[in-house]
Amino acid sequence: MYKYAIRRLALAIPVLLLSSLIVFGLMRVMPGDALTALMAESGNVGERELAKLRKDLGLDRPYYEQYLIWLWQMVSLNPGDSIFTNEPIAVALKKAIPVTFELATLAMILGLAIAVPIGVISAIRQDTPADYAGRVVAVSGLSLPDFWLGTLVITFAAIWFRWIPPLGYTSFWESPTRNLQQFLLPAAVLGFRLSAATMRMTRSTVLEVLREDYVRTAWAKGLAGRIVVYKHALKNALIPVVTIVGGQLGTLLAGAVVVETIFALPGMGRLTVEAILFRDYPVVQTNVMLVAAILVTLNLLVDLTYAWLDPRIHYQ
Amino acid sequence: MPAHDHGRTAIRTRVTRREFLERAGWGTAAMTALIAGGRAQRAGADATSSYPDWIPASQKPPKRGGVLTRASEWDPPVLDPRLTNSVGLFQFASLVCNRLVRYPFSDEATSPTDLTIKGDLAESWQSTPDHRIWTFKLRQGVKWQNLPPLNGRELVAADIKYCYEAYAKEGVQSFTFREIEAIETPDKYTVRIHLKMPNVMFPQNLAEPVAVIFSREVLEEDGDLKKRMIGTGPFTLKEHTRKVRAVLARNPDYFDKGRPYVDEYHILSTPDAATRTAAFRSGQSDIRWVASVADAEAIRKTNPTALFEEYKNVQTVFGLALAQDKPPFNDVRVRRAISMAIDRQKQVDTIYEGHGMPGWGIPYIYYQDKMPTLAQLGPYWQYRPAEAKRLLAEAGHPNGFETTLFYYEYFPQMSSQVQLVQQDLLKNLNINIKISKLDYTTFYGRYAEGKWDGMAWGFKTGYAVGLDEQTYQYMHSKSTKNYFRFSDAQVDELVTKLRQTPDRAEQRAITKKIVDREFDQVLRMWMPADNGFLIWQPHLRNVGLLALRRNDGYGASTFARLWLDK
Amino acid sequence: MATATARAADFEVAPTVALSRTRALWAAIRRKPLGAASATLIGLLVLTAIFADVLAPYDPLAAQPEIRLAPPSRAHLFGTDDIGRDVLSRIIYGSRISLWVGLLAVGIGTIAGMIIGLACGYWEGRLDMILQRIMDAVQAIPGLMLALAIVSVLKPSTTNAMLAIAVVIIPGNSRIVRAAVLSAKQNRYVEAAEALGCRQLHILGSHILPNVTAPILIIASIWFGNAILIEATLSFLGLGTQPPTPSWGLMLSSTGRAFMEQAPWLAIFPGLAISLAVLGFNLFGDTLRDAWDPKLRRNR
Repeated sequence: MYKYAIRRLALAIPVLLLSSLIVFGLMRVMPGDALTALMAESGNVGERELAKLRKDLGLDRPYYEQYLIWLWQMVSLNPGDSIFTNEPIAVALKKAIPVTFELATLAMILGLAIAVPIGVISAIRQDTPADYAGRVVAVSGLSLPDFWLGTLVITFAAIWFRWIPPLGYTSFWESPTRNLQQFLLPAAVLGFRLSAATMRMTRSTVLEVLREDYVRTAWAKGLAGRIVVYKHALKNALIPVVTIVGGQLGTLLAGAVVVETIFALPGMGRLTVEAILFRDYPVVQTNVMLVAAILVTLNLLVDLTYAWLDPRIHYQ
Repeated sequence: MPAHDHGRTAIRTRVTRREFLERAGWGTAAMTALIAGGRAQRAGADATSSYPDWIPASQKPPKRGGVLTRASEWDPPVLDPRLTNSVGLFQFASLVCNRLVRYPFSDEATSPTDLTIKGDLAESWQSTPDHRIWTFKLRQGVKWQNLPPLNGRELVAADIKYCYEAYAKEGVQSFTFREIEAIETPDKYTVRIHLKMPNVMFPQNLAEPVAVIFSREVLEEDGDLKKRMIGTGPFTLKEHTRKVRAVLARNPDYFDKGRPYVDEYHILSTPDAATRTAAFRSGQSDIRWVASVADAEAIRKTNPTALFEEYKNVQTVFGLALAQDKPPFNDVRVRRAISMAIDRQKQVDTIYEGHGMPGWGIPYIYYQDKMPTLAQLGPYWQYRPAEAKRLLAEAGHPNGFETTLFYYEYFPQMSSQVQLVQQDLLKNLNINIKISKLDYTTFYGRYAEGKWDGMAWGFKTGYAVGLDEQTYQYMHSKSTKNYFRFSDAQVDELVTKLRQTPDRAEQRAITKKIVDREFDQVLRMWMPADNGFLIWQPHLRNVGLLALRRNDGYGASTFARLWLDK
Repeated sequence: MATATARAADFEVAPTVALSRTRALWAAIRRKPLGAASATLIGLLVLTAIFADVLAPYDPLAAQPEIRLAPPSRAHLFGTDDIGRDVLSRIIYGSRISLWVGLLAVGIGTIAGMIIGLACGYWEGRLDMILQRIMDAVQAIPGLMLALAIVSVLKPSTTNAMLAIAVVIIPGNSRIVRAAVLSAKQNRYVEAAEALGCRQLHILGSHILPNVTAPILIIASIWFGNAILIEATLSFLGLGTQPPTPSWGLMLSSTGRAFMEQAPWLAIFPGLAISLAVLGFNLFGDTLRDAWDPKLRRNR
């Protein structure tokens, strides 16, 4: 087990390096320039000014130099400054990470709270109307784009209730009530989507487990059905669910950009997407690397948890 | 026909507009009935209410206090006014800083188009008869905001000189400020500026919203102006969190005693349009701009007591830009043909619901009193597809050609327009356009770089108020702001002459000549647009909308005179 | 990855089972209402796409701005959009785009993933290690970000959006295929074939491939729906399908949102279309799984 863990960890490093190369390469190939975004809505930019700015920002050095400089910055945990704002990236991240963390956590909790009960019921009552209803609800969560759900929610909250979440992000420590008001709706919108995938996975794994011999035996023995389900089936059924949830982290960390935009939350998603659109290379590279590192770590943890929970799995 | 009065509008509002509004009312009613059940109301009388273009200053004595809040779509790219002209910065930089001279505020202006230059930091000014040397006398006792390192010291002439020289040295303002040959400060309160060439309209350049006076100490201490903003203005920048909010607090030492009236102004970063509307409806935001009548009517349904004002259609900012320096668009016949193949009136009537303008560049108030009608814009602005086809064939393209068009959707109506133009040109001239809808950075970068081929839904920059900016700075062949990439000797001559013409009537005559030339040669193919409407919460006062200086954007300095009646 | 290994083992089948699989699927469709419904939806989508020219009452690109934003009526069953084009016709032609998006994105992603997975799983060794690390590296980048970055590099268009989505799909697919191949290799049939001296390609083709198709098809059917949604999100962010193409995603994210209050039909119909298409594919994937998963089959 430990050998596996260490080997996986060691392999993570080249993976991250490769990811960084991919992102670096993509950003450099994009048309447009960080400078032109900076010059937004202005007109007075002559060649001379542009060249000077380019030099100041280090964009005139050869690519490999830029890459190595940035790599060094990452390794020494000093990611440098944003081209666009000249603000240290570390500062921007420090502000964005708590927002994303809170949104992701709340979304996952809400998602699981919806998904697991529906999934279990759906499985127990397979092929009944309850099952169909549950599955359709779940799939509708998967089939509505977030931007649409989010827009509907915010528009009708204003029209029907004359209320929308207070704008202007406030951290939990500053004011818990205001903060929770801000996060509830966006977390619900995100959670609804996540719950769909989780619910289907829960349903199918519970179905499988229910058919396992040991479960049928327990039933035959006459143990109260509920105890059987909860004690034996659920525990095993939830293992793949953990994997699914782990897989959704990618969505939560960076894909929540749409929800963040509509509900005006300054999270990692918006930071990264806007940096991509502004060609703010250092920010994109750093953010993507951070997310990649988190994902790789979490995947490893999930794998290890999985192995620990189900000793029948073996590793080559 | 609806009974409302559009006064200076000679553009025919066809029946389609009322039909449309009724349909919109029905449509919205159906939706609310469908979903909310029972809240349906006919648009009816509401749809025919008029939109004033001016809400006069309140007669009541202003009350002090309160917080003004606005959900804004703009985030400043940087805080440094040398590096950007973005409205995201000037929506509050105009309130933290002053300029040497300014345009009237909402409670001073007699009408939206009152463009009398007033003193801001300067009390008075005069020029030599040849308009090459300008002397400004500064107001005495103006204090910088009481924050380190300024600590409330007095503003002196050397500060002005420092700023203008900095603008000339580097950054986006340099083209304008390089007109200055030298600046003298004979005493603490006098600034004397020597220009390289005579310019009657020079003070206008200093009154532009982007020519703010920033602090030397901050620049010297920080090395740049990206971290702090300290000025002499009515508000201090109390807090600025990127992508979240900017908080402005009243400057207790402001030289204009008694103002500003509100205690604080909060600008909340809200990138999504639907959210901004929701914020206004729920009372979280006090101000909302919308692009069309239908959008305004939708808000009127839920907020009937709000104040609605039309942002005067004095100019259009967007047009069909062509790569005019090369074939096929360098042939004036091709440009004229394209211009005549586009049905502008139809766009005004349908997309802009009868309320928009067919499109012209230089604000008409600089050469005539009434808004031009489509007929007055010359033969090449009329929809004459047969003539267009003939002209294009004459220019050597009887079967049309293929080209590309790139744009960024500033607002949804723009996409509608682009697609209508695509259809017009295909149908009438067999010009096949491939559209590329881009994100803001790619669009702006490609457009500003000036090396693109084909067509673009282009613009002239949006902040300019003064005539000099609108003519010389935008139209001279050597200017870096000449985005439409045209080079016309007559125009060069006229815009230079304009700068040397002190007489008002003569200025109008020359400006008209420039406009006529522009339309005759189709140097900039302006497209229909509507400057939209500003909607205010009912308790706001002194909210007169100033032409060319949108109050919530570049014209924000007028909020020093805004007060809350509650 | 452990999960994939465990799951792929479920699908060990002998090569001759392909026929019975089809029969099992047909049975599942007939017996389960949701299976029938999803098959019908997909069928409708495909038929609409093929016969769009015949079904659409108007030219989807013909703008008639005088009748813009008209609510549904007899002349225009789904109303008209912001420049007076018939929404129904655009929805019908939009099915082509959606099908195209799904097919290209999922097709390329699946095939490429399959090739890589087959190569990795069958030959293992250093090739496997290198390719798998590359796959990991790509997969570590969040999908939407990667798609966004790729579309920004290539010019925004429907095709490029699909290519970007395909790239996002490849790593996951390759991993599943690889695991299926690895488990299939342990199969007695394969050992026997190798002992008999069959050529490698033959082994790949007749013994391993059938094992792999089941999980691939299931995943593919789910990714179909995802591809449509990602394309819509890319349109929302400003990159993706170009006007005036009648893609459901573009219709929903641009005019649908912009005119939501004045003309809700501009959003309702594309939204319904997307939802039904995604619903259909997802439920079909479920049905496939129900039909082909031996563990579930055994106990019917």
